Amino acid sequence: MIKKLTIFLLIFILFASFFLISYQAKGKLTFSKIHFSQILAPLTYLKDLLKDFFYLKEENTQLKRQLYEISLIQKSYQELINENKRLKSFLDLKETRKDIVTIANVISKGSNKFMKTLWIDKGSNQGVQKDFPVITFNGLVGKVISVSSNFSEVLLLTDPNFSVAVRIERTRTEGILSGTGNGCLLKYIPLEEEILVGDRIITSGLDGIFPEGILVGAVKSTTKKEGFFQKIDVIPIQREHNIEEVAVIKKSI
Amino acid sequence: MKNFFKWTILILITFFFQELITISTIRLNFSILLIYKFVIEHFFPKEELRNITPSEVLPMLFFVLIGFFDDLTQGIIGPAIISKTTAGISLVILTKQLFFHWTEQFKGLIVFLLTLLDEVIYSIIIIYFFNLQFDNLLLIKTILIRALFNIPIGLIISWRKP
Repeated sequence: MIKKLTIFLLIFILFASFFLISYQAKGKLTFSKIHFSQILAPLTYLKDLLKDFFYLKEENTQLKRQLYEISLIQKSYQELINENKRLKSFLDLKETRKDIVTIANVISKGSNKFMKTLWIDKGSNQGVQKDFPVITFNGLVGKVISVSSNFSEVLLLTDPNFSVAVRIERTRTEGILSGTGNGCLLKYIPLEEEILVGDRIITSGLDGIFPEGILVGAVKSTTKKEGFFQKIDVIPIQREHNIEEVAVIKKSI
Repeated sequence: MKNFFKWTILILITFFFQELITISTIRLNFSILLIYKFVIEHFFPKEELRNITPSEVLPMLFFVLIGFFDDLTQGIIGPAIISKTTAGISLVILTKQLFFHWTEQFKGLIVFLLTLLDEVIYSIIIIYFFNLQFDNLLLIKTILIRALFNIPIGLIISWRKP
């Protein structure tokens, strides 16, 4: 038989935990995540110190930063060309400058039990903030959801909790892209819009988080069955299995 | 004291591997194996300790501690404490109140069900309280992978025990 004391203790633990959970769910109480990399942080610092000593890291970071900037500028120019084609050049279009906050290495994947996330080796000390977009040379990766001093957790594009305002590059139709767990789904595209398989999808900048013109993915399939909108499956341009290095950029607003 | 150091090292190693090893982006659940090992060692002690009735409070505190560590890595305190304690107590009840042969097949089934129970309770709490979006099929797949992955490890750590 289980002793009465054990049962009382169990009930107490369950009540106390539920009390804590409900407070956290309401946002009145928050705890910062502890990642194992934080325990290994002194070793990482030592490694960085050695690299810095030979000026390799700094030079490397500078070059990568330039490369990312060029890649982003190139994308912005492409966007401007498209704007011109649609005879909107008379508008005083100001190119949105997509400032790179930092370049970071991916240190672990899948450490979150419930969401598809990855951890990067840059945090608030390097200027990273919550909701900052994360990109690679190819396109959008996700956004920062939690930040500690030297590490950040990034929610991946394919997670069902992720959404981004997008537009189809060819037709300029706007919609919302959400993760499905395995891929992405483009929502709120009316049935009358002619969407082709392979159409490129870029961020529209309308959500106030992701700057305009970042490549997100390509249309995989379209289904026009019922309701007012099409069901459009999207393949992310950046596969999550081969992300090694990312750039954190500032929010559009 | 010897036992304290042994379990401290075991806990550290388990969480180290839990953080490091992932299948694709699926995080594995090794911490439940600590509970399984602790219950087996606590309720089926070595020959010289068999005359002492094992305490029930100590395992309970151990379950809370493991759940707390698990929660610390997720940034939400509570769900894993509940799931780990409930799963652990279920195993204690099973161990104390039922008599059966601890065959390898049975141990495998116990590890599978224990992981499943832990994961289901955890998921229900997270979905209910934090309103997170998820894909049903992916969630089931993830839980099953974690439960299946734990079977061989559970069998290894409880080899020739109890």
